[in-house]
Amino acid sequence: MPDDFKALLALMLVFVPLSLLSIGGGASLLADMEHQSVSVHGWTTPREFADLFAISRAAPGPGTMLSTLIGWKAAGWAGAVTATIALYLPSSLLVFGVARLWGRWRGSVWHAAVERGLAPVAAGLILSGGIAVLRVSPGGPAVWAAAVIATVLLLRWPRLHPLILFATGGALFGLAALW
Amino acid sequence: MPKGVPLGGVTAETGNAVREHHRIGLPAIFSAFFQLGVTSFGGNTAAWLYHQIVRRRHWVTDGEFLSDVALGRITPGSGGVNLTVQVGQRLRGAAGAVAAVVGLLSGPLVIVVALAVAYARIGWSPAAHAVLDGIAAAAIGLTFATGLKLLPSGSARFGPLAVTLATVICVGVLRWPMLPVVLCLAPISIGLVLVRRRNA
Repeated sequence: MPDDFKALLALMLVFVPLSLLSIGGGASLLADMEHQSVSVHGWTTPREFADLFAISRAAPGPGTMLSTLIGWKAAGWAGAVTATIALYLPSSLLVFGVARLWGRWRGSVWHAAVERGLAPVAAGLILSGGIAVLRVSPGGPAVWAAAVIATVLLLRWPRLHPLILFATGGALFGLAALW
Repeated sequence: MPKGVPLGGVTAETGNAVREHHRIGLPAIFSAFFQLGVTSFGGNTAAWLYHQIVRRRHWVTDGEFLSDVALGRITPGSGGVNLTVQVGQRLRGAAGAVAAVVGLLSGPLVIVVALAVAYARIGWSPAAHAVLDGIAAAAIGLTFATGLKLLPSGSARFGPLAVTLATVICVGVLRWPMLPVVLCLAPISIGLVLVRRRNA
């Protein structure tokens, strides 16, 4: 068996189970990825893993693009694509199936009640996500203050494009660091 | 529940009716989610999706969005990708889900590897870390603004608001594991809806 193929297979064997076990995403996934790619398979050194994590946070897209970078380290572009598919496909199929089953009861009283009942919980989860990021952010009070200002601006002017705020925030913090 | 009961300003039924009248093409779905993927800095796909797909394009309603957020978070995998699967499915079935997810992930996949290559060549400056902090602050602002905009509204909002507050305290402040909290609060919230419906 050629080495490239072996590496791709190993990536699949690591990321497919993670895909189906990672309820709530985030922290538990990160710890597992680090263990597998540093200690078990040696795809990255601990330092490289920390760097890749920082890079994945700088890129747009879902927060879990770190898997793409681990795949890329392990087996180039083929590895990047394989790891991405292996992490996202199984969980996507599962949620697709659940949503489809769920959609069959559309129109019934309790279908509408469940969807309406989930709404306030979902709003709470979105707000909790913001608090979680705020807590792990290394920037301290400056980041907190900027986050509050951004919140107020977006609520006051809903048509303001968020990218303008993102560019302004990045530029201001960058300039402050250079000063 | 009669049709037309407000849910954050819209009805649960309008989304489907609108989509039957204006079938959204697969290329349009792909390109909308591609744009979403390459612009969604800060890692919060849900907040960006709300801005680009719900507020700007009106492809799904607030109620549908929130329901998909909740299911996407309690099933395994990335909440943002799970949300994208469900919204794509609402728009055009299985093909819509594939177009949305491939659109969402293909741009960031190339960008994140390009960043890694650039990093290997030129390294990382302290200013770059500061720029990331600034972007993170804006992302947190976008998340809070989205959550606050979607707070329960209408005449009978006090029960739902209490549920939202309890979720924020348990998951956000006390950092309890999300799944048990949702499995506990969701039935209470659904019960509130049913009781209100019976009394109406």
